[in-house]
Amino acid sequence: MQPILSVHNLNKYYGNQVGCKNMNLTLYPGEVVGVVGESGSGKTTFINSISGNLIPDSGKILIETGNEKINFLEISESLKRLLIRTELAFVHQNPRDGLRLDVSAGGNISERLMSIGQRNYGNIRQTIFKWLDKVEIDKSRVDDFPRTFSGGMLQRLQIAKNLVTSPKIIFMDEPTGGLDVSVQAKILDLLRKLVRELNLSVVIVSHDLAVIRLLADKIIVMKNGEAVESGLCDQVLDDPQHSYTQLLVSSVLQV
Amino acid sequence: MIELNKITKKFTLHNQGKTNILVFNNLNLKINPGEIVALTGPSGVGKSSILKMIYGNYVFQSGQIKINNHNIDHKYPRNIIELRKNIIGYVSQFLRVIPRVPTIEIVMEPLLEINSDQDEVREKAEKILLKLNIHKNLWNLSPLTFSGGEQQRVNVARGLIRNYPCLLLDEPTASLDSVNKDIVLNLINEKKDKGSSIIGIFHDEYSRKYLKAREIDITKISDAK
Repeated sequence: MQPILSVHNLNKYYGNQVGCKNMNLTLYPGEVVGVVGESGSGKTTFINSISGNLIPDSGKILIETGNEKINFLEISESLKRLLIRTELAFVHQNPRDGLRLDVSAGGNISERLMSIGQRNYGNIRQTIFKWLDKVEIDKSRVDDFPRTFSGGMLQRLQIAKNLVTSPKIIFMDEPTGGLDVSVQAKILDLLRKLVRELNLSVVIVSHDLAVIRLLADKIIVMKNGEAVESGLCDQVLDDPQHSYTQLLVSSVLQV
Repeated sequence: MIELNKITKKFTLHNQGKTNILVFNNLNLKINPGEIVALTGPSGVGKSSILKMIYGNYVFQSGQIKINNHNIDHKYPRNIIELRKNIIGYVSQFLRVIPRVPTIEIVMEPLLEINSDQDEVREKAEKILLKLNIHKNLWNLSPLTFSGGEQQRVNVARGLIRNYPCLLLDEPTASLDSVNKDIVLNLINEKKDKGSSIIGIFHDEYSRKYLKAREIDITKISDAK
């Protein structure tokens, strides 16, 4: 099996300041890779740099599209935009960053569908309902504006909006960040189900080790912009080798 | 077949004065298909550590672990993920699940990895839950509020719903009453008869005898203690 995404020696600097340095990642179809570390460790810079939100200074990002490997940093802007609309998806920590608040819930979900050329109103409407159902939002809310939704509903709507075109790679930055724990559990359950049903490949950033343990197959631990340890998720959490990972794991409060 | 050859395992606690703890030195162990091995020895001797090394949760410093001739190598996490999907099953002591996910779905999950027929998988999950005396009323509830014994049986159901060639059992009967203990032990015996290589930790002698397990005292197979 070929990795669907591989990142080699990626660097991103802000002036002299390190954003992330020497980062590598391999993501296979159906796999979830978690990126953890304290705030300021470069997690968000890394995920933004590999998803097209930021332009890295150097490195290689290879995306397998089915028939060829594309070097994401060397393709034309228009092809990049097309990929971002179709094969890639980005779920923001704050759903308001990923949704259009002055467009109805249904309109938000249909945006990616229309951008890949779907025009039949009936079909689009049907797909919207299917996805509202998948993310457990009542059909009757389809024409409501997102600003009337609760935080948890907004996050689920953002997930539906992103997954509707069956993207191959999903990037998530703290998808359960600002949510209370009962809503967080619901989103985690939803994400796990979708990953299995749709064979999604996911890169997820979180500072919450418990979230990563439940979702991720592999893990990258970042500190000061670099990966200090990476590998199988439960191995790194159960038997951390680097002193920083040991500190991180032992700092988690037990409930 | 599970093989451990010349395993050295130590823990280095960087934040506690770089303390080194040598757990195993020159550990050798082999579990054949259709055989049950029971690890014995005092608490803290490393019984769970052996299971965790085989499952890939713990790294080891030198030596070789082979599962049906596949190496456990932490440089290739993808291979360990595949081994877990296809070859190694693990029943841990404690249930770790996402809150609010119903019991039946937790039990179905490992089988759904290889069988996408929801109805067929659900039927199998119901069957094993019934066998383990988990009442129908509980199937659609999250096991997090269940009693210790019920949680353990859900864990067993999840671990034994498939026929893994290699099976790791960490005290699968610890908090069960005698009736349910026998049911679980019979299920384990069925897996043995199907040719699984089984290694486990069973605190009571009754379970070890019932399973006709080959008992191995860890202090006698590793130079570390």
